[in-house]
Amino acid sequence: MPRGALSAIGAAAVLSIALTSCSSSSGPVTSTGATGKSGGALVVGVTSDPDTLFPWKATQFTAVNVLQNIYGTLTEFDKDLNVVPGLAESWQTSEDGKKLTLTLRKGVTFGDGSAFDSKDVKASLEKIMDEKTAAVARASLASVKSVEAPDESTVVLELTGPDAALPANLATVNMAMLSSDDTEEKLNATPNGTGPFTLGKRVPSQSLTLARNDKYWGAEKPKVGSVEFRVIPDESSIVSAMQSGNVQLAVFNDPLVAQTAQGGGTITVTKTPQLSYHALQLNAQHGDLKDVNVRLAIQCAIDRKQVLDTAALGEGEVTGPITAPAFKSDPAQRPCPSRDLAKAAEYLGKAGKSGGVTVKAIVSQGEYATSVNEAQNLKAQLAEAKITLDLEVLESGAFVDRWVAADFDAAVALNGGRPDPDGSYARYFTSKGNLNKVAGYSSPELDKLFAEGKATTDPAARKAIYEKVSAELEANAPWIWLFTSYTYTGTTSNVSGFVPMVSGSLQYLRTTSVA
Amino acid sequence: MRRILANRAVRRVASTIGTLFGVAVFVFVMLRAIPGDQITAGLGTEAAALTPAQRVALEQYYGLDQSPVTQFFSWLGNMLTGNFGYSARSQQGVLEMTLHSLPVTFELAVFSIVLALLLGVPLGMLSASRTNSPRDAFGQVVSLAGLSVPAFLLATTLLSIFAASFGFNPNGQGFATLAEDPLLNLQQMFLPALVLGFGIAAPILRTTRTAVLEVRSEDFVRTARAKGVPPRRLQVRHVLGNALVPIVTMTGLQFGYLLGGAVVVEQIFSVPGVGRQVLLGIQQKEYAVVQSTVLVIALAFVLVNLLTDMLYRIIDPRVRAS
Amino acid sequence: MTALRRSPAMLAGTIVLLVLAVVAALSFAGLLPYDPIAQNPPDRFLAPSGAHLFGTDQFGRDVFSRVASGVGNSALIAVVAVAFATVVGTLGGLVSGFYRGFADGAIGGVTNVLFAFPPLLLALSLASVLDRNWFTVAVAIAIVYVPIFIRVTRGPVLSLREIEYVKAAVSTGQSRWQIMLRHVLPNITSIIVIQVALSLSWAVLTEASLSFLGLGTPPPAPSLGSMIFEARSLVFIAPWTLIAPGAVVVLLVVGLNLLGDGLRDTLDPRTRGKR
Repeated sequence: MPRGALSAIGAAAVLSIALTSCSSSSGPVTSTGATGKSGGALVVGVTSDPDTLFPWKATQFTAVNVLQNIYGTLTEFDKDLNVVPGLAESWQTSEDGKKLTLTLRKGVTFGDGSAFDSKDVKASLEKIMDEKTAAVARASLASVKSVEAPDESTVVLELTGPDAALPANLATVNMAMLSSDDTEEKLNATPNGTGPFTLGKRVPSQSLTLARNDKYWGAEKPKVGSVEFRVIPDESSIVSAMQSGNVQLAVFNDPLVAQTAQGGGTITVTKTPQLSYHALQLNAQHGDLKDVNVRLAIQCAIDRKQVLDTAALGEGEVTGPITAPAFKSDPAQRPCPSRDLAKAAEYLGKAGKSGGVTVKAIVSQGEYATSVNEAQNLKAQLAEAKITLDLEVLESGAFVDRWVAADFDAAVALNGGRPDPDGSYARYFTSKGNLNKVAGYSSPELDKLFAEGKATTDPAARKAIYEKVSAELEANAPWIWLFTSYTYTGTTSNVSGFVPMVSGSLQYLRTTSVA
Repeated sequence: MRRILANRAVRRVASTIGTLFGVAVFVFVMLRAIPGDQITAGLGTEAAALTPAQRVALEQYYGLDQSPVTQFFSWLGNMLTGNFGYSARSQQGVLEMTLHSLPVTFELAVFSIVLALLLGVPLGMLSASRTNSPRDAFGQVVSLAGLSVPAFLLATTLLSIFAASFGFNPNGQGFATLAEDPLLNLQQMFLPALVLGFGIAAPILRTTRTAVLEVRSEDFVRTARAKGVPPRRLQVRHVLGNALVPIVTMTGLQFGYLLGGAVVVEQIFSVPGVGRQVLLGIQQKEYAVVQSTVLVIALAFVLVNLLTDMLYRIIDPRVRAS
Repeated sequence: MTALRRSPAMLAGTIVLLVLAVVAALSFAGLLPYDPIAQNPPDRFLAPSGAHLFGTDQFGRDVFSRVASGVGNSALIAVVAVAFATVVGTLGGLVSGFYRGFADGAIGGVTNVLFAFPPLLLALSLASVLDRNWFTVAVAIAIVYVPIFIRVTRGPVLSLREIEYVKAAVSTGQSRWQIMLRHVLPNITSIIVIQVALSLSWAVLTEASLSFLGLGTPPPAPSLGSMIFEARSLVFIAPWTLIAPGAVVVLLVVGLNLLGDGLRDTLDPRTRGKR
């Protein structure tokens, strides 16, 4: 049952904003850098520098994106989130689905020059599965019974059962392939991967420079000689740095900052819809919310478009549960496709709560730009349906603490979505999911559907199954899905070839060039 | 006499140690009272997906499995031996980080204070030289502006005006220390020092004005004036000389504040000072970083205090006379 | 009243504050044109007009009503915070400067501990630990200001202690508290009053900064600080949402400072009658 696991994807978008602050000291540290390569230097503006250089524990936006350019994974996503070969040239599932055989690419080397082979894959996967490593992607390998390396370029995964989501799960940087000789300690100081770039110079909290890996296996080598991630803590200051030509590329999360950036004329801003979604999470284990009718009353009392328009100035799209393009839910597929106060009253009546209910909601302030605005609008809308939403506005650390402990009736949250719906939701809404405590809802139907989805490989059949998942979720309203927002990629006029992704990933830095 | 001095020095050292210990306890307790730890700070909501065994492994990794008392004394003991702790995030010792960030903040504070004094003292004296005159009004307007415009607003506005209209944004380049590239460094310090200095100039201006007015009404000034001391000399020697005590107090106060309180400006202008180091440490819950840095700031602060007090003795004829 | 006539600055300050007080009173009395919290999305981002004096914000809320109620909230926080800081801080400074010795050491120690603490960490800790509402925000601000009052009063008290008439009072055998209250306190009034006026305006601005860090008055209750911060990024779309609370903050701060100056000129025996 591969669920869980922090994927680079999605969660990164959430965390990037959580960490939009500042950084610490100055001073040069590691400097092994190859500078002065051909192809020019690209400077990317980021609000914080990586909080770790160890790929198996990286969840923060900058860390994930830096490491993704240094390390390689067995599979990769293309720009449309299709799973494509990475370090594994091809893979094959056995008839019964209980065996996944991967054929590795030959002639790949790590940054330190040593060769990459099946030994490294076996060591990496086994360490990720070991609880002591505390790798965030561990749960994604839950269906893996054992890893064998019959020869240098073949790896066989014995599975407890079919797992259609496994190839996609292998594509995140949290599943990066490390050399079997390396340790966490060593890699934190000197990363050693098979990716398109290697670590050049690092000045903690100020900048981190990647140098092109001339031995990179890809057909196309990176176009730029180096990429510097320059830490500028304030998003508006990044805009200023771009206007003055010091920074050439940046990803913004706040639509208003993007608008300011575009206003100057020197910066091109591209909007990309995101997998991550804004939702009002209801804890179906708590008080009045145990009654599905109360939850449905809340669903019916909320006009999602109004939340989007007031809190995020309409910058986004109303969404259902599944945001991955290939499996996208139809937002109109739910008991109350649009706001219906009469129906809300009816549901409250069914629950025996015609006099109204009170729900306490936790809201984080400062974690992402729109949270408090969403909460205010939700409160106002629900008030009209006799539902009192008491807001508890928390500093983001306090919010995370309460969220992790599932200590809330309701939570206004921005959750990371993933390219595969199993990865996104099985961990929340199956009875054994590792985030089920936080989601507070599961049902035999959902358990069955998720198991089916995992065992099915045919894309059309899978899509049909996840449509049912989506409908089941909306009909029981454990959460109220609101909208997805955009990220905004700003580039100066001399930058070309960058492809923004719905996952927020910067993997296409390798095709980017600077004039 | 010598014994008194020695006593005083001993007392001073003792009180300094007491203060620092107080700060150490306070920061230690405060940090742990803030919800969350390094695990949730690093993983965010994903921390919920950790299995108990994973959590234990991480707690061991970050040293969170020890009792708070053990943590406190091992940290303090290490500090005494010069081991300020290690930042896993920066892959750097906290001492090393601080040796880079403290001079940056110090430099920024000095520039800001110099700008503030250059603006505040002359304007304050000008204001006081004739109350309720246009020049007084001018001083009042300047100080009102300094007091009323929030630093973040001034900083953001200045930065965007300079960058968008003139393409002048030295802070968008990588930060250069004074030793690395003095010219670039001074350019990078200019706007942040201006913003901070403008804010501090206001209290200095007002303090100067009040102090000058009060001193001028005192007997010895009246006597001097009656004796026919030339106005300029009267102004500088007698009035300003005696008005210095509150000005020095205010300046010392503001300087101390700047050491730990320039965070917002450091943020906006990407100045890698101690303020950012502390803030980031708090966000990441890197306890060692915050504790050690705050203690260093505290030490710097105590030293500034000491300096201020010593200056009193030199400047204030009344304290000196005793 | 005569004081007001004598000091135009104070007159101006008083008028400004009175106007703001009336506006704030309207909010406490529930006489505002609109509910400051109720949302009306169809009316989003209306420019100022007869119906909405200062326009509407992104939720269609009336900006005038919000500013009015924000003035009340901000002033309340500032006044409570500064009152607390003044009483505690001045007392501390008096005792510290006058008694010297152990009291000075103890108070100085606590002051230094508080001072040496980055205010941000202090505020963050307090806001995270305490149940946050307007009062805890006021207390957090007050704790940051207490050491300032101690320091600002201690220096002059130290000097005053050496002045002849204080020494004379000591020699006549008056109790220390009598001397402090009768001879020392009146002489530092001007400093305290200036500090109160400065602090009030700083407190208004500090509340704004706390809101920026997500530690101010919790929404949806309006405070001038949180309004400015919510509107900061709307400045290109709906400038009035920023200008209205911004201008009122400046007015409030200016008014407080003018009043403070006027008070000082009136209260201080040495500057009185000298203008």
